[in-house]
Amino acid sequence: MAQPLVMMSSIRKQFGPVLANDDVSVTVNAGEVLALLGENGAGKSTLMKILYGFYAADAGTIRISGQPVSFSSPREAMAAGIGMVFQQFSLIPALSVLENLLAALPDAPWLQPRGSTKVRAALRWLTRLAPEIDPNRAVRTLSVGERQLVELAKVLNLDARVVILDEPTSVLTPAETERLYGFIKTLTSEGKAVVLITHKLADIAACADHIVVMRGGKIVDEAPARDRTPGSLVEAMVGRGVAGSLPPPSSPPTDVPLLQVRGLSADIQGRKIRDVSFELAPGEILGIAGVSGNGQFTLAESLAGLVPALAGDVVLDGVSIASRVEDGAISGDVAYVPERPLDNAVVADLDLALNLALRDVRQLDFFPDRKAAFRRAHELISRYDIRPPQPTLAASALSGGNLQKLVIARELSGRVRLVIACYPTMGLDVLATQAVYREMFRQATEDACVVWISEELDDLLSYAHRIAVIHAGEIMGITRREAADRRTLGRWMAGHAMIEAA
Amino acid sequence: MSAAGSIRIIAIVGGSAAFLIGASIFLAAIGRPPLATLSQMVLYAFGDSYSLSESLVKATPILLCALAVILPARLGLITVGGEGQLYFGALTGTAVVIALPAAPMVVLLPAMLLAGAIGGGAWSGIAGLLRARCNVNETISTLLMNYVAVLLVNYVIYGAWKDPASLGWPATMMFPPAAIVPSVFGTRAHVGLIVGIAAAVVLHISVTHTRWGIALRVLAGNRKVAAMAGFSFVKQTLLVMALGGALAGFAGICETSAIQGRLQAGISVGYGLTGFLVAWLSGQNFLRAIPIAILIGGLIAAGDALQLYSKIPSASATIMQGLLFVAALGASGLAGRGTARHG
Ligand SMILES: Nc1ncnc2c1ncn2[C@@H]1O[C@H](COP(=O)(O)OP(=O)(O)OP(=O)(O)O)[C@@H](O)[C@H]1O
Ligand SMILES: [Mg+2]
Repeated sequence: MAQPLVMMSSIRKQFGPVLANDDVSVTVNAGEVLALLGENGAGKSTLMKILYGFYAADAGTIRISGQPVSFSSPREAMAAGIGMVFQQFSLIPALSVLENLLAALPDAPWLQPRGSTKVRAALRWLTRLAPEIDPNRAVRTLSVGERQLVELAKVLNLDARVVILDEPTSVLTPAETERLYGFIKTLTSEGKAVVLITHKLADIAACADHIVVMRGGKIVDEAPARDRTPGSLVEAMVGRGVAGSLPPPSSPPTDVPLLQVRGLSADIQGRKIRDVSFELAPGEILGIAGVSGNGQFTLAESLAGLVPALAGDVVLDGVSIASRVEDGAISGDVAYVPERPLDNAVVADLDLALNLALRDVRQLDFFPDRKAAFRRAHELISRYDIRPPQPTLAASALSGGNLQKLVIARELSGRVRLVIACYPTMGLDVLATQAVYREMFRQATEDACVVWISEELDDLLSYAHRIAVIHAGEIMGITRREAADRRTLGRWMAGHAMIEAA
Repeated sequence: MSAAGSIRIIAIVGGSAAFLIGASIFLAAIGRPPLATLSQMVLYAFGDSYSLSESLVKATPILLCALAVILPARLGLITVGGEGQLYFGALTGTAVVIALPAAPMVVLLPAMLLAGAIGGGAWSGIAGLLRARCNVNETISTLLMNYVAVLLVNYVIYGAWKDPASLGWPATMMFPPAAIVPSVFGTRAHVGLIVGIAAAVVLHISVTHTRWGIALRVLAGNRKVAAMAGFSFVKQTLLVMALGGALAGFAGICETSAIQGRLQAGISVGYGLTGFLVAWLSGQNFLRAIPIAILIGGLIAAGDALQLYSKIPSASATIMQGLLFVAALGASGLAGRGTARHG
């Protein structure tokens, strides 16, 4: 039998009191897709960051094609043919796509004449992965999904033999996801190995060859993909059967609107929304579907009042909450779960207790009561199962999913009248996803309006009261859940507006 | 031990060793016995009450200027404007003395000190305003404003405020006794030192234990999230810049009044820049800046004494000071790099 391409044996990694990897051994074969599953904080990202030379393992060995290696930096790992796309991105927002790609090339040239071979080399994968992305656009104007594709192109440019993808599909649209599956297949057919970290069983069905399930830093299951059913995987992941799906939230009692959005237009660095109008009754959940990068971020930010409205208004219970005045905090009646929590919702180098307290930090005493803050943090951490449960830890030490739970805990634990949630379950495992939905729906049953921006069309179709579709910054149509069908929604997503019945 | 703790110890030991080696080589090169000269310097700096008081005199403006750097640094701002703020504070404080030369001490002294602090605060506040409102880089603006402040002082001491009795020497009149900052412990060290140490302690407590400290940390960490929580970058930038500038301005008027006795050129021998370096050596920590400022003050005082008694040119003290900074910053940089990836 041929040498495995990568062999990690008995890897151990401890972060302070947390044992993130406990005697973990995996092998990755050329031409295969290894799916790495496990609940939030199981240690998946850590294991792969060790392979990528980002962390040094405390114990254990790594062999590549049988040769023992020890990487002290990602640069060395890359030279050995290992590339990784992180869960949290590493692109430089102020630079253009092309500049980012050029800078990542091993021998990045000082001068970059357009059309030179270097530029062609930098763009060769991007043009295959996402021909619609203009390389001269600044990265900060890209949507999460587009950023992911640029990250992927960046890694593929380095001719990696082993490509590690950390939850790539959690931010991609169904179409982008399909395209990614296609690429993964091309890569393996070229003899490369792919490690796919994911929470989505659909990813596994689509492309996994071999499955490794982690829990609490250990491997709890390992098998060829064809030997496992989705049910058994979920059980291995969380250690018990899932509770089944949630009951859909009941319809709102009245239709007197609590939230009125009228002709709202806004612009964040070229990402525009135009003339958005809708009304929500108390307790009503409006799902907003659409291909990511079509104005979702701007919509969420302007509903929260964080960017000035160019036109129109957002009225919550008779009070305008659009265009928060300078220095004013976000309204206490609004809970906002933004996309990319690391950039938009937490202060990475401050501790969990403080991050959890940010919502009403201005009401603290001048000498804040640290004990009380820690008590509250402990309570939220255990209620929302944030791991590791240490209020003194810096937020940057949390795994992607736990970071999201932290934001949910802060925003949704109190009483509010409007919930704005942008991809709230991005990066969450099955149980955590359900917990978030339960929290969101609880707000609805307590008569808050919920604006729920998501790409999980299935979930929107099972839980939202109404579904709107956003395309190019405009609402293409709104429909009740009962009347919604995938074809119409799909047409709206592609930009065909609703034809009003006269 | 925590990684930060071991980095600090490596940096202190390594930095001291590097400094001693560098200084010895330098002293040997200029033909002085290294060990004897170095131990003599320690004596000149802290050996008796007179040298100690001279060291504290030098340490005072350095400490105040360091605080003026550390406070904005807590918001992520890098200012190098201590020198200019010091000069401008000296200028505005002196203006009060010139305007009310005959006022009684209870009026004149507080008014002068306050005017000095306000002057320094306003000077620095301008840079803060430019940063907050127009996004002008504060490092550049404070650097440039240093030159302006020094030249403004030159302008008045060569012009309108020049004392005719000083026979062409560019300086204002001598300050009346009612405008002389009292000294402490019967030495030349003055009230500015007490204020500097008290300010360091109060600022330390404020940034670590109050809501204001949280605001600074949140703003420094993520401006977007801070805005969501209702913290204003504009307001806090103005506040830290003005407070910092006020401390440097206070240092300026104290130097003018207690040490020089009148406003003249050269009230500061690079205290602003030295304060900046002390701030970096302290890791932008208010409390740690106190001993470091005293140490550097000692080195400067020892340099003066060496020049006086051992006929070593004064430039050598400056060179050794430079060696000390390079050694300390280099060592802490290297130590940080060596341990950074194991966290
Ligand atoms: N730099 C760090 N410092 C301290 N603890 C860390 C650090 N990185 C990870 N951890 C901890 O190690 C554990 C494993 O984290 P890891 O990021 O590998 O999880 P994960 O399986 O990728 O989870 P997710 O699905 O949420 O991304 C978690 O408990 C996490 O809090
Ligand atoms: Mg992860």
